[in-house]
Amino acid sequence: MTNSAVAVHGLTKIFPVPFHRQSVVAVKDLNLRIEPGEVYGLLGPNGSGKSTTLKIILGLVSPTRGGTEIFGCDSRLVESREAVGFLPENPYFYKYLTGKETLRFFGRLCGLRGAALKNRVNELLDLVGLTKARNRRLGTYSKGMLQRIGLAQALIHDPRLLVLDEPTAGVDPAGSRDIRDLILELKGRGITVLLSSHLLAQAQEICDRIGILANGVLVREGHLQELIAIENQTELVITDASEELIREIESTVARSNGKLIERRKSTTTLERLFLEATRADETKMQSNEEARNEK
Amino acid sequence: MSNGETASTLQQFNTSTSAKRYRPFSFSRIYAITINTVTELTRLKVFYVLLIFGLLLIGSSIFMAQFSFQQEFQILKDVSLGAISIFTSLLAIVATARLLPQDLDDRILYTILAKPVPRFEYILGKIAGVLLLLAISTLVMGAAFLLVLYIREQAVVHATLQQMSNAPRDQVADAVRIIQSSAFNIDIFPGIVIIYLKACLLAALTLFVSTFATSNIFTIVVMAFIYFIGHLQATAREYWLHEHSSGLVSRIFLAIVALLFPDLQAFNLVDDIIAGTAISLSVFAKTALLGVFYTTIYTLLATFVFYGKEL
Repeated sequence: MTNSAVAVHGLTKIFPVPFHRQSVVAVKDLNLRIEPGEVYGLLGPNGSGKSTTLKIILGLVSPTRGGTEIFGCDSRLVESREAVGFLPENPYFYKYLTGKETLRFFGRLCGLRGAALKNRVNELLDLVGLTKARNRRLGTYSKGMLQRIGLAQALIHDPRLLVLDEPTAGVDPAGSRDIRDLILELKGRGITVLLSSHLLAQAQEICDRIGILANGVLVREGHLQELIAIENQTELVITDASEELIREIESTVARSNGKLIERRKSTTTLERLFLEATRADETKMQSNEEARNEK
Repeated sequence: MSNGETASTLQQFNTSTSAKRYRPFSFSRIYAITINTVTELTRLKVFYVLLIFGLLLIGSSIFMAQFSFQQEFQILKDVSLGAISIFTSLLAIVATARLLPQDLDDRILYTILAKPVPRFEYILGKIAGVLLLLAISTLVMGAAFLLVLYIREQAVVHATLQQMSNAPRDQVADAVRIIQSSAFNIDIFPGIVIIYLKACLLAALTLFVSTFATSNIFTIVVMAFIYFIGHLQATAREYWLHEHSSGLVSRIFLAIVALLFPDLQAFNLVDDIIAGTAISLSVFAKTALLGVFYTTIYTLLATFVFYGKEL
């Protein structure tokens, strides 16, 4: 039997409040299992216990009761972190280091050195699209670039589990889509991804399973498609349908036991519209520049 | 970063060597944190302190041209060793106070400790980085001081030789010997070592305070108190023992006070050096051991508190 990528049993975390008798229950009797190769979304409002759960899984905070394991290894043990890459929410890193130096630093912490470290740094800079900015200090990076270098450092030791806390917080739609694509590629490689997010639409696009936390309690959990499906409703999406065909369908529905709830034109997403508009503008600018250079 | 590019890069992944297996203790991890700490502190321009030191030295040597050479050398040693002591202490406190809170505020600490890095290695790396920076600073300041002292000594010797050009050779040799002995004495070197050890102690104590402090301002304020109490505590202890019985309870109390507020006056050998009093090997060894002992104890305490810290 293979170990779960992440196993959380009976996890409770209570934070004492100084000079008060009362304490804050951040997580209450949480049980979770994330299987290898899954993308698992831990969702919930602010203060629901998502970050605390992630921190306990990473051994940064100790549980009051219960425990967590990473691939069968107690996550309080340092060796459990060999298998984990972590990207915190809004990472800052050392502003005085360049992108390359940052990856070298984290690589050395993971026991990499020499040619292996150099190759890995180059591969990851290429992967996250920061090869050109490799020698720039992180102080000059945009939020999206910081997030991408953060993702690169999380992958430096080729982990089997990636823990991402709000991976696209503050990133523009194009950067956000890049990160989303990267997560899906990593999933394709068999890397397990545990992410916490406020962006429900994005979680819906990439997660296999989700868990919803509210006040430290897991209130919903399961496969995304099962959780969001409305059992007694069906959608038909038709291209080039004539008005007669639509009227025919409507009258068929009216004759049956079914009920037509809504008829509307299909729409694109705002994200897709934004990306198409900005990329078209970028392409136009590039071709203008090329034309000017040719002259 | 298109999808195609991403996929092709990912395929290369397994071709590179994987990270080595986890070892409970690794010098290379500590070394990585140490070097990063030194880089962090140097890029924060803390070395401006050295510039101030240089200006102080040049300024004081211009000012001292009006004194006799004995007075000049004495004042130069007094100002320089005092400045080295104050600047290294200041550097130790200010540079160390920001290390932990800053890493925590920027969430870099999460990223580092989410790697296979034990917490004690993080603390050891940080303190080693500060101690290395202090060593470089002390060396630079010490070298600058010795260079200025040498230049002034040579200037005085040259002027004396010119004045005594017609004097007998043994008289000239005596005069030069007097000048050289009033400029240099061997005790300058152990004196600088003790100044460095005092700074190490202060850095370790600052690191310990910062493990439970809420901000770096708090750490600096607490350290300022400890610094002044540390310089006064020897006098206070003598007064206490004089006024009260030296029973077991008193001694335990004083030991606790001594641990919380190290006797910084014990590291003040500058006055003896300036006065030309020889520092005995036993005094040097005792003071050096005290510095190493305090530095070790505070580093261990910092590690202990940091181990239990909820991040």
